[in-house]
Amino acid sequence: MDILKQLQQRAEQFEVVHLQNESTQVKFESNRLKTSQVEETKGIAVRVVKQGRLGFAASSDASATEQLVKNALESARYGDLVPISFPAAQTAPTVKTFDATITDLPIPRLVEIGKEIVAYILQIEPEARVDVSLKRGIQHVALHNQAGNAASYQSSPLSISVQANKIQGDDVLILFDFTGTTVWHEDYLAGTRRLGEKLKLARRLTTLSSGNWPVLFSPNGLLMLGLPLQQGLNGKNVFTGISPMKGKLGEQLFSDKLTVIDDGTLDGKFGSAPYDDEGVPHRRTALIERGVLKNFFYDLKTAAQSGAASTGNGSRALFAPPSPAPTNLLIGAGDTPLADILASVNQGVLVEDVLGLGQGNIISGAFSNPLSLAFKIEKGEIVGRVKNVSLAGNIYTLLKNVAAVSRETEWVYSNLNLPYLLLPEMNVVAKAG
Amino acid sequence: MREKILAALKSSQADYTEIRLEEREATTVAYRGKDLETASVAIDAGGIVRCLCKDGGWGIATFNDRDDLIAKVEQAYQCATVAHSDEPIELAPVPVREERIAANLQRDFRDISLADKKALIEGYNQILLKHSDKIVSTNCAYSDSFSRITFASSEGTFIEEERPMVTVFTSAIARDGDNVQTAYETRSGQFGFEFVMGQEEKARTAAQRAVDLLRAESVVGGQYPVIVNQELAGVFIHEAFGHLSEADFVYENPKAREMMVLGRRFGQDILNVFDDGVLPGLRGTHKYDDEGMPTGRTALIKNGILVGRLHSRQTAAKMGEQPTGNARAITYRFPPIVRMTNTAIEPGATSFEDMIKDIKLGVYACGAYGGQTELENFSFSSAYAYMIRDGKIAELVKDVILAGNLFTTLLNIDAIGDDFQWMHRGGGCGKGAQYPLPVTFGAPHIRIQNVVIGGKKA
Repeated sequence: MDILKQLQQRAEQFEVVHLQNESTQVKFESNRLKTSQVEETKGIAVRVVKQGRLGFAASSDASATEQLVKNALESARYGDLVPISFPAAQTAPTVKTFDATITDLPIPRLVEIGKEIVAYILQIEPEARVDVSLKRGIQHVALHNQAGNAASYQSSPLSISVQANKIQGDDVLILFDFTGTTVWHEDYLAGTRRLGEKLKLARRLTTLSSGNWPVLFSPNGLLMLGLPLQQGLNGKNVFTGISPMKGKLGEQLFSDKLTVIDDGTLDGKFGSAPYDDEGVPHRRTALIERGVLKNFFYDLKTAAQSGAASTGNGSRALFAPPSPAPTNLLIGAGDTPLADILASVNQGVLVEDVLGLGQGNIISGAFSNPLSLAFKIEKGEIVGRVKNVSLAGNIYTLLKNVAAVSRETEWVYSNLNLPYLLLPEMNVVAKAG
Repeated sequence: MREKILAALKSSQADYTEIRLEEREATTVAYRGKDLETASVAIDAGGIVRCLCKDGGWGIATFNDRDDLIAKVEQAYQCATVAHSDEPIELAPVPVREERIAANLQRDFRDISLADKKALIEGYNQILLKHSDKIVSTNCAYSDSFSRITFASSEGTFIEEERPMVTVFTSAIARDGDNVQTAYETRSGQFGFEFVMGQEEKARTAAQRAVDLLRAESVVGGQYPVIVNQELAGVFIHEAFGHLSEADFVYENPKAREMMVLGRRFGQDILNVFDDGVLPGLRGTHKYDDEGMPTGRTALIKNGILVGRLHSRQTAAKMGEQPTGNARAITYRFPPIVRMTNTAIEPGATSFEDMIKDIKLGVYACGAYGGQTELENFSFSSAYAYMIRDGKIAELVKDVILAGNLFTTLLNIDAIGDDFQWMHRGGGCGKGAQYPLPVTFGAPHIRIQNVVIGGKKA
């Protein structure tokens, strides 16, 4: 490759990443197929180390490689001195990221599946408006560096997103489900069924008074607590000193019911691949084990700055240098069946979804959100949907005392596997009407 | 390139075809604490072809490789034939224009060296870092971007437009034990390098606020009368109301049309809201939208009554209304969808003193960390806030997040200030997968009664 030769003579270290994606998408809007789209993406990102300084540049213009090299070297003139080394090839785990069944799906088949999803929702809720997007793609990633590392793989992402809107007077209900996979599953309606169940449950409205109630987070709702947790475990936030978990490795920070794992080696998941985006093999890393802080997650640069080793969590988009990010983030299953957890709640709230996820000062552990989908639990039963309810708190206090974690877990969004989690008591603010 | 574009349009078998090409060069210099995270230049070039078959649907092809536009048009056409529609998709007519719009920058940032850009942001970063030993980290960035967009349609429109943008973002993170607080100030617009020079005061303000927030108590949850400053009022009207006024939400949904029927009362007589894509330099401004429709000013709420909404060509045709120039795309990777440009609450007549003097216990909420709407329900977070006690601004409080129902909350706006400002803040709006789209908010101070604020127990 031409660009590698150019760099060899001009920098001590270099890394070149070629990305090439093709995707096909069909989009249903308000129950009807409206748009189909094909997308071709090409791009090159370059990092160099020159006189110990790190530089970065990227381009989606394949004809501009000379300018790209020039930009990367210029960037390194101003770069900080970082003790980073782009690593030689290491043995990587075998991870399934490609399935020809997905890449071979013809457009008419995507359309058929979309129609099936719309029909399924409408049979439950004829008044609903359903938006569906199905996207299948093929992605090639190839990394080369001065140490001879040539990490490359291809993947076949398939994503299915479904949104159902139901409006009655001024009551607007919006439910959303996303499934992402790189291997084909015959049961492609699983996410749609999950959404259908919520639609049924949401039919009945009920009220709740403000007070201190037990709060049960569904896998989807648990993201409200998972997001501040994820930020606190990010090696970059630890290095810059803003993570409340800094300096607390080995300490019991949370309830012994809480275990958090990063695992980029699981077959078929969106966060999975043999390597991360810097050519470091993916692995399974225990971050929190039975409430004890075990590890943070790092990319190469943050690890070098922190005197640690990369955990294979270097993540990048084309136009930005890598930074640490979770691969697949798992909150470990507990030992209580969900049915038993529900049965244990006399009066409480089930949180399914929130508004404004991630807003506010979440690095401090604080969150405060209205609930966009929540249910009232009474005598162990889900009795109806509650509106105008909000929750606020801080995970570093709340997660010290967890009442139960379910045996069941679910994949939500693209790369999170989460259980149901019950907090014994939270301040629930409800507004009448 | 012009000849290639015209030849490709001519080759199309679709009822309507458009080609939009973009070349963008963007510089970013970012500090995280004392570390330079990046000083780099990105080159992005690509295009999108969109075809419409009236008895089918939309077909779209996006790409980086712009050599064979005829093949891309064919791909998009094939996509458009996949769908079958009983009801033909119509586009509202737009004027056919040929125009070249050049950016007119005082100090063109493309002529400024990377060294000078770095020096500018390093200076702001040093102000943040040296302000107090409580400041443990920063997030401080300079960015500029210069896009050349060519839009051509099978109807004969051919527009070349340059779109510049320059932004500085200064954020300080203060820590005291487990207590971590963040504050930021930002400035962004379609201007030259001069627009982001001399912003030392913004950096000092952000640093001081982060330190002050360490001592602030969390707000006590409950219902309060709230005065909202200009920045947060702007975010509020954008999030809580603006998104509902985007016609793609209502145009195919009879229930939503009922809810958003023109003539419905949304606020008291004092409330006036508009969207304006023409105002020079603001982030949401373009002469043409991404369907080649001239932008303009659209009244949305007049004297409390819903009077208008924002349209693309398709939503306007379907609803029998006029297109408003609000079809926008963040990049060539996406088709245009209905978006706001610069959205604002018009100034009223109440002074800040009159607004606050009768509030016994309330909250003065300032700045914004962001917000989200799910149509009738919204949530947005203030960056900092004060309690109001006995008609006066009292202690600083943190974690103030306002939530509510759009309809009741707009009706609860009972005072509108005389101190209107456009906020030249960075960031952007997200809708679907398209984020961040540059927009601007404007507003005076406003007062809202009975706002729910989540928080700790009294």
